[in-house]
Amino acid sequence: MLGPNGAGKTTFINILVGLVRKSGGTARVFGHDVEDDYRQTRDAIGLAPQEFNVDRFFPIREVLEHKAGYHGVPANEAADRADEVLKQVGIYDKRDTRFDWLSGGMKRRFLLARALITDPDLLILDEPTAGVDVQLRRDLWDLVTDLNEQGKTILLTTHYIEEAERLCDEVAILDSGQVRTVATPAELKDRGTDRIVVELRSPPATLPDLLSDDDRVEAVELDGHQLTVTARNGGLVAPNLVRELDRADIEIVDLEITRTSLEEIFVELTSSDETGNDIDSDDEATGDTGEGDDTDQPREEQQVAPDGGQR
Amino acid sequence: MSVVDRAAAAVGVPTGFYTLMKREVLRYVRRPKNTFIPPFITNVLYFSVFGVVLGDRVGTILGFPYILFILPGLVVLGAVSNAFENGSFSIFHGRWNEYIDETLTSPLSYAQMVWAYLLASALRGVLVGTLIAVLGFGIISGLYQPVPVEQPLYLVAFILVISLLFSSLGIVGGLLAEDFDDLTMMNQFLLRPLVFFGAVFYSLRDLPSTLQTISLLNPMVYMVNGVRYGFLGKAEVDPQFSLIVLTAGTAAVTLANVWLFKTGYGLTD
Repeated sequence: MLGPNGAGKTTFINILVGLVRKSGGTARVFGHDVEDDYRQTRDAIGLAPQEFNVDRFFPIREVLEHKAGYHGVPANEAADRADEVLKQVGIYDKRDTRFDWLSGGMKRRFLLARALITDPDLLILDEPTAGVDVQLRRDLWDLVTDLNEQGKTILLTTHYIEEAERLCDEVAILDSGQVRTVATPAELKDRGTDRIVVELRSPPATLPDLLSDDDRVEAVELDGHQLTVTARNGGLVAPNLVRELDRADIEIVDLEITRTSLEEIFVELTSSDETGNDIDSDDEATGDTGEGDDTDQPREEQQVAPDGGQR
Repeated sequence: MSVVDRAAAAVGVPTGFYTLMKREVLRYVRRPKNTFIPPFITNVLYFSVFGVVLGDRVGTILGFPYILFILPGLVVLGAVSNAFENGSFSIFHGRWNEYIDETLTSPLSYAQMVWAYLLASALRGVLVGTLIAVLGFGIISGLYQPVPVEQPLYLVAFILVISLLFSSLGIVGGLLAEDFDDLTMMNQFLLRPLVFFGAVFYSLRDLPSTLQTISLLNPMVYMVNGVRYGFLGKAEVDPQFSLIVLTAGTAAVTLANVWLFKTGYGLTD
């Protein structure tokens, strides 16, 4: 999930795990209603939140054992699992340290360990790399990628475009409590407008009528030797452009296609509707992350609850 | 895995519930400087000043030396204040630092959550009450006379019920509080006056009849009298009636707590 601050990403997650009560609609995880079947829902989720909401009274190994125990894992097994996940995230040698004494990066790693201790079907990472250094970010990315390849479903929120592009199979863009769209990073980029910049040997006195019947083309501009075509799916439009220039006897020196970045798509989607919808609206809220999505709502413009007040 | 862990698993105590309760108990057991030493010192002072120094001037009440007369009240005072303090602190501190989320996002039922917090806090009340009783036994038996336990079943029942009741009230307090000051307010302006006007240090018979009647509105009077009945075999209020009312109160507040957890009051946005 990609969205600016206040978009509703954390609120959506908190609805799933029971830390926020939704004002309407339904939310299900793997088919379990988050309120009616809250025990099954919560058992299926491992959450690494943004905040450092960790029990400070106990060493981190014990905190993990407690968390596993709450999920019904017997004490012996919980201890083994705690060691395992601490090794997995690389802070095993700090196992007898309390959370407050860990560095910022280690704290982030610990949150991930706590989310993994219950071996959840759904791992939710709420801005897992916020405020961490480059090396740790890459380590966490590798870890998340490994977990995903092992078959773990991961719901990740971020406002780092690169993170979404690198880690996510599907991206939901949220803004003002609205799901603007859900698509793969590649699909999203295809929706943007690319720029085809052609360097001409000698510019024509008048610009021929290029690509006039191609509805993907938004603009054609000539500026001296440089012809710029703005179009969706620039990679597909470019061969036609080359053919038409060739037919018009206009010689090409160089051609470059600048693809729309996910960031530009993101900015476009999150700034196109300044008004948004009323975030306190009674419209049905849908936050279904589970299998068997049987809602009739389209994938675009679904509404989720907004950020609430402080607890 | 400890012996207690194995025993709990053997009798089928749900692992999640047991883990939360264990966590809550370990939190205070590992910090005796915060948990057991302060009531020990405070009660040494109570016994010394009220019992030994002033006790001889007061003489006897209900036929017992003053130090023996105040022992049940001090046990009640220690048990209820510690049960309340633990319940309210556990919930409020968890909310304040948001680590209660670890519990709330787990698959424990709301009733299991409440009972785990409740029993852990009540156990602290019972432990501190026992500590004060043992201390009193030592001082009184050494200086005056052996301390009787005339109605042991009533004594145990009252200590359990009042610890559970105030543990449960503490959880309500922890959910209602918006700030640490609120917890202090509850302790200083609600709990302490009830205790001091609860016939801990005096007999109801020493009060004018109007104040006697007003005192009967104070639930602490029933608790102190119940525990006093357990120790001394004498009470100014019917202990059976007191026990029934206190048990009903405990059940009502506990049910209210389950409902508050279910609705997320003070816990969720």
